Amino acid sequence: MHPPTRRHVLRGLGLAGLAAGGLAACGSSPTISDDPDELVMWYWNRSASPKLLEQAAKNVPGTDRHVRADVIGTTFDTKLRTSLAGGAYIPDITYINSNNALYFRNEHQFLDMNDLGAAQHADDYYEWKWKLGITPEERFCFFPLDIGPTGFYYRQDVFEKAGLPTEPDEVSAAVSTWKEWIALGAELRKATGSALVNTAQSIYEQFLNASPERYLDAEDTPLYTAEGSAVREAWDTAVAAIDAHITAGIPDARGTDQNAAWSSGKTAGHVNASWWSQIIQESAPDSAGLWRLADQPVRPGNSGGSFAAIPHTCNDPEAAFAFIRWINTPDHQAEAYNDVQLFPSAPASYESGTMKYAGDFFGDQDPLAFFSHAAEQVPESFISTWESVVSGSFTLEITNVETAGKDPDRAWADAIAAAEKALRKRGVQR
Amino acid sequence: MSVMTTPPPVDAARPSTAAVPRTRALGWRGVLSHWPQYVAIAPFYVLFLVFGLFPIVFSIVLSFTDWDGMGEIRFAGLSQYIYLVQDSRFWNAVANTFIIWFLSTVPMLFLALVIAFLLHQNIRFRGFYRVAFFLPNVTSMVAMAIVFGSVFSDSFGLVNSALTALHVDSVPWLSSSLGIKVTIAVMVIWRFTGYNAIIYLAGLQSIPTDLYDAAKTDGASTWQIFTRVTIPMLRPIILFTVITSTVGGLSLFTEPQVLLGDAGGNGEAGMTIVLYQYNQAFTQFDFGYGSAIAWALFVLASVFAIINWRLLSERRDAPRRTGRKARS
Repeated sequence: MHPPTRRHVLRGLGLAGLAAGGLAACGSSPTISDDPDELVMWYWNRSASPKLLEQAAKNVPGTDRHVRADVIGTTFDTKLRTSLAGGAYIPDITYINSNNALYFRNEHQFLDMNDLGAAQHADDYYEWKWKLGITPEERFCFFPLDIGPTGFYYRQDVFEKAGLPTEPDEVSAAVSTWKEWIALGAELRKATGSALVNTAQSIYEQFLNASPERYLDAEDTPLYTAEGSAVREAWDTAVAAIDAHITAGIPDARGTDQNAAWSSGKTAGHVNASWWSQIIQESAPDSAGLWRLADQPVRPGNSGGSFAAIPHTCNDPEAAFAFIRWINTPDHQAEAYNDVQLFPSAPASYESGTMKYAGDFFGDQDPLAFFSHAAEQVPESFISTWESVVSGSFTLEITNVETAGKDPDRAWADAIAAAEKALRKRGVQR
Repeated sequence: MSVMTTPPPVDAARPSTAAVPRTRALGWRGVLSHWPQYVAIAPFYVLFLVFGLFPIVFSIVLSFTDWDGMGEIRFAGLSQYIYLVQDSRFWNAVANTFIIWFLSTVPMLFLALVIAFLLHQNIRFRGFYRVAFFLPNVTSMVAMAIVFGSVFSDSFGLVNSALTALHVDSVPWLSSSLGIKVTIAVMVIWRFTGYNAIIYLAGLQSIPTDLYDAAKTDGASTWQIFTRVTIPMLRPIILFTVITSTVGGLSLFTEPQVLLGDAGGNGEAGMTIVLYQYNQAFTQFDFGYGSAIAWALFVLASVFAIINWRLLSERRDAPRRTGRKARS
């Protein structure tokens, strides 16, 4: 209850000033670290080799910087986008998942690594992977980390029971087209009651992942409405699989059910990338050793795989790029595979012979040779930034056909209408 | 809640009217002379301004714009709201939310009332049962969604195994439209029945025992006592639980999200309003539309708040009437 003295007021103002100063300090420095020699990198669990990060924490070879690697948990994109939008606490290097096309709309948030001499390393990596890192403005913003070449996983024991071909070469030869693959699934269903895959959606998606054409082109023009488009072919293939009753109808959201189906053999196959074997090995270890890999029909695709990018606020772009290149040399990618099973985007990693596959998931079959061979055949494709806006309509409707018995023609029309509506809403189409 | 139910306290007005002239006389000097007190309460208000009020106001602004969370914010006028009223996915989410709310609230409150009534009796291990019924409320929802996912699994679940053992056709709990809604409703019931039972129990304990004694003297049966004494006396408590269940039901998110994923399950049968809002804002990065959905939910919730408020203000006159009139 003392009357305010001048000292009181001054002290109060001083406090307010300090607070304001603190806030201003946050705003003026867009990067995270105050240490001028430190580069901050954001990644997620198992997306980089801990051993290599340990080395980089001391020094990035060829520079006088070191890297502080922060694991950002779930909602990685939300956190990265928030810091970029706010212009504060932005990492100097960031990993970005296979959804890198999402950032095409804001590509100038990232530096063009061609300005830092990236082009000279292009030959070290699969060409299709390198091109996925190029934005519609022809800037190279996303450096290749790992990839996800796909194959046809199948349960050898179930195939044997059904009297189907069992050896990888025989199976590959028997399913060179999707039509043959579906016929094989129908035989399997008849003989053992097992489904070939869990969802029609997975067929639809892996068909597109192995296709040079996808949803939209680089000019944001939808391609799926055209006669004989890749999306339509993928759709028709999935519908044919549903008609032949070779899918189990267990959607991806129900992972527990899916794993139970795979480990019990009620579902005897799957089309997906190299990383999938770890998931099934952890969730259904009993089935390890019973799985084999065959070529998927037509050609392999790519599912997943990530990139590294340098935000425009980076303290030292040269050093950041030196780090990205250093951690992704073919030798280091081979080490990363041995460490955390990241499948290399550099063909030389496999050719060096230092990559080791541990485990007996595929019996005596060598998955490294299989997936390296698959990686060479993945077609080049363009993933549009708007793909994530439209793709959900198609996968939703194919699931409706599969589990609710919706008429495929009506489902297709609904999917197209929903996709067009979503694009119009985002201002992509008139 | 208590703010809404209690009539405006007459005393409360008095100190403030007395305080007004004094503050006026002192003006800013009055504020300054109390600065330590203001500083002491400031942390809450500063945090509320930054993390409470600002996001609320900003989301109003965002709902009139088109923003992907990163690039420039473009003013879009009412277009988000115009799209919203024509968006069949949004109305599907509204319908889902209300169906799940109805499927869960009605059995839940009935069960809770019965449990509370039983717990109120002189039975053994009362404390144990009270704790046991409340436990689901403090269990991690994420863990429970996984358990429920296994229990209700279409081809490998406990429920369907039991049904098959009883020679009843198995139910596609997690792939049919109604099955998904029932499963989510069961999760809500499982989680909140105990919570509501505890609240009813508190209400039961505040009913004077002489009412029961009088009813017994008049020869009323247990059922008559329950319906004629307990339920009317519990009416404000029941209204309170209806309101909290409505708030919870309208903002249903965790259960469907963990059980079915961001897409809301087959045919979006488990897509609730908040899940749709999350889906649009954080998986489609359409923050303008996400904000518009949030404000649409606000409008819906307001409508319900007004209905509840009407019910409550009617209740305020009830004690003046006789018991019989209050029920009619």
